[in-house]
Amino acid sequence: MIRYIARRIGTSIVVLIGVSIFIFALLHAIYPSPAIDVLGSRANSTLIAAWNKQNGFDDPWIVQYLRYMGDLLRGNMGYSYKLNQSVASLLSEVWARSAWLSGASLVLAVLIAVPLGVYQAVRRNTFGDYAATTVAFSLYAMPVFLLGLILIQLFALDLHWFSFEGSQSTSLPSIIVDPHSMTLPIVTLTLLTVASFSRYMRSSAMDVLAQDYIKVARAKGLPERLVLLRHLLRNACLPMVTLIGLSIPALLAGNLITETLFNYKGLGLLFYTALQNVDYNVLLAYTMIGAVLTIIGNLVADIALTVADPRIRLA
Amino acid sequence: MAGQVGAVPDAATGTEHAGTITVAGPPNAAPTWILPMITAADNSVFTVPEFDYQMYRPLYWLTNGVEPKETPSMSLANDPVWSNGDKTVTFTLKANYKWSNGNPITSQDILFWYYVLKAALKESPANWAYYNPGQGFPDDVTSMTAPNASTITMNLSAAVNPTWFMENEIGTIQPMPSKVWDIDAAGGKPVTDWATNPADAKKIYDYLAAASKSESTWATNPLWQVVDGPYKLTAFSASTGGFTMAPNPAYGGPHATTESNVQFVPFTSDQAEYNAIKSGSLDVGYVPLPDVPQAKTLTSSYNEFGYSSWSWSYVAYNFKDTTSDFNNIIDKLYIRQALAHLEDEPGYIHAFFNGAGGQAFGPVPQSPASPFTPANAATNPYPFSTADAASILKANGWNVVPNGTDTCAKPGTGTGECGAGIPAGTKLEWSVVYGTDPAVLGEQVQDWASQAKTVGITMNLSSSNFNYMIQNYNDPASPKTVDKWAMEDFGGFTDSTYPTTENVFNSTGSSNLGGYSDPQADKLIAASISSPNSGAVTAEAQYLTQQQPGLFQPNPDGGFGTASIVLWKKTVSGAPASWEGLTQDTWNPEFWFLTK
Repeated sequence: MIRYIARRIGTSIVVLIGVSIFIFALLHAIYPSPAIDVLGSRANSTLIAAWNKQNGFDDPWIVQYLRYMGDLLRGNMGYSYKLNQSVASLLSEVWARSAWLSGASLVLAVLIAVPLGVYQAVRRNTFGDYAATTVAFSLYAMPVFLLGLILIQLFALDLHWFSFEGSQSTSLPSIIVDPHSMTLPIVTLTLLTVASFSRYMRSSAMDVLAQDYIKVARAKGLPERLVLLRHLLRNACLPMVTLIGLSIPALLAGNLITETLFNYKGLGLLFYTALQNVDYNVLLAYTMIGAVLTIIGNLVADIALTVADPRIRLA
Repeated sequence: MAGQVGAVPDAATGTEHAGTITVAGPPNAAPTWILPMITAADNSVFTVPEFDYQMYRPLYWLTNGVEPKETPSMSLANDPVWSNGDKTVTFTLKANYKWSNGNPITSQDILFWYYVLKAALKESPANWAYYNPGQGFPDDVTSMTAPNASTITMNLSAAVNPTWFMENEIGTIQPMPSKVWDIDAAGGKPVTDWATNPADAKKIYDYLAAASKSESTWATNPLWQVVDGPYKLTAFSASTGGFTMAPNPAYGGPHATTESNVQFVPFTSDQAEYNAIKSGSLDVGYVPLPDVPQAKTLTSSYNEFGYSSWSWSYVAYNFKDTTSDFNNIIDKLYIRQALAHLEDEPGYIHAFFNGAGGQAFGPVPQSPASPFTPANAATNPYPFSTADAASILKANGWNVVPNGTDTCAKPGTGTGECGAGIPAGTKLEWSVVYGTDPAVLGEQVQDWASQAKTVGITMNLSSSNFNYMIQNYNDPASPKTVDKWAMEDFGGFTDSTYPTTENVFNSTGSSNLGGYSDPQADKLIAASISSPNSGAVTAEAQYLTQQQPGLFQPNPDGGFGTASIVLWKKTVSGAPASWEGLTQDTWNPEFWFLTK
């Protein structure tokens, strides 16, 4: 196992270097320098040249890349020209907010989707299955902003049960203990995730129900509750493990539309703003973190699968 | 005052109440700089007029309600006096304006600003947003002296247009408290030789600039607690950009009798801000143009006002694009006039702006009124008429094919012929790129192109984003791509109150995106900068309106740095000009008060 993990980490580093070169080269091919974007369309050539020199954009891109990677290895992710703050401080201000929003909704979604999917598989083609399928399809087809708007109008502006916006606190503990503000954004994300996860779970559970070992378990007189818990659930959850592993990057990436709609400043919004402003260092940092998390997510999913399914062997 | 949407009521009479007035901060509107020497990278309406000017006032206050003209009572200095053939200027500081620590604002504070500025610019020209190398401030200044504690005299290397120099140059000076800021470290000893020792002036700038970069300490750093504006910063969140300000009791200018704290509440989207308005949790906010019809449901609790901003939008023409002889087509005045006739400005305002906008036929819009508005800005010289456009083309040798593609039937340079450089059979067909945001750019261009098609002009439309357009469809900045675009609509420019198009339509202008070059325009623009004629800029605007170097477009209502109308709760009141000014991104919360 340790050798396997070490080998995966080794290949991951190669992948990360490849991703960094690709993103860096791509950004420089499209926007050789963000000077005009930073200084405005009225900037004259003297200002642009001075700004490029001040920020090292007058060097060849390979020199800029090596300098960037050198700084990155020393833990310096650079400076945001547009927001006038270090990238590290920008990330530290918002990562926990995004992680809470995405993490809480992911956990809730799993807790709802797994039993719901199993229920639908076991009771397939009944009224309950049809009703759950209809709701899931409706939610799946619904744009996030529409669902969010409906929830805000109904539960915040009409009934006044919850706030129309997410918590504005910068402290994670106070965000966690603020259900008045956080219920609607978390529920919005949860409902959408449940819509897709429950379909996967239903499909997976139906496959497992058709397996011989389920018939054997039932034939030997095992109570249905034990059949479902011991034999169906564990096997049916295997595809979910991969799905959840791949959802880990979203914990940090946040959810742009939910964040913008609920006035909840997080990483998704930070990235979107950086994209609009061609804020190089923020874009690079965000992309690199996304790549790292995708690799970690994959690795965690693979390891979790071996724990859940002894038939899988790591080599 | 009636606006294009709503109206501004008179200030409420009766008892004024203090409290906290909450104001919307639109998406991406966080201030990024506090030192009153704004860098080019940090220059925005959210950092300068909304934030910095609340603490550090400019020498001249150059808006008055919706109008771009001075409000003398809010200027720190009396109007300048000129001598020596417009090469020497003298102005005096008013006694009623003081620093919040009780010290008077003196001429030393202006000199301090000047010498620190010189040090900053020596370090990098990008350290001051208004710097234009070799022109204006400080390069034109050969000497600056302080004959007494309240008087400044500047000698210039050449004669300048006094109005331009006052509004665009001296008007950008924000005095700095020299007795407090003449340090190069926290708690350091005063560095008093900043006027004679550039190295020490540099140390002061570096220290102040570093403090200005430290957003998380803005509200606590004692540097920023000495102000001459109506407010002091009491809280600032670097992560959200939200901030709170408290009234400065020592402020010497006009203000409400009972002032309130002002809290700027940041929003991640226009929709989130609108939700806050609907919930009634915001005192002052905005509604973007597409939502104006919905906003009418809010009039029971909010005042609404929309007025076009002092700016201009245009479709830029590329006079250097040789593809299919486009350069030879677009340099003909009659072609540009025909194109102007194809634009339905009243229709766009009604259909795309929801009525929230004003017409503009040149670089100076029809409204707001300005001391510099030319006669042909009032009535469209080229009103919407496809018949007129077709007649112009026919009269100049084109075979007009409605809904087809026109071709040049009479090449040559004589009367009734297509003009120089246009061979027989040349088609009126080219590409137009428009920005995807805001949507009204695309809507206007699409309608213009469909009207053009009715007279046989084919415009092939595509969309792009603002960053890509100004990087690549920009002849001075991107000479390699001059043949890659014919027309583009990325938006436009916000004028300073003195509306010269210097840099945009002069031949050597750094923002002359399409390489427009006209000796007469160059001459008039130069006169706006350097002639003694106070009407020079009006003559410039008049000529450009007639010449149509781009397709000038209607001007949406403004405020909060976006195309919008402004709203404020009926429980908040204040001097009408302070509400009108919001549409011009001029912020004067010192005039606001709570009525309950």
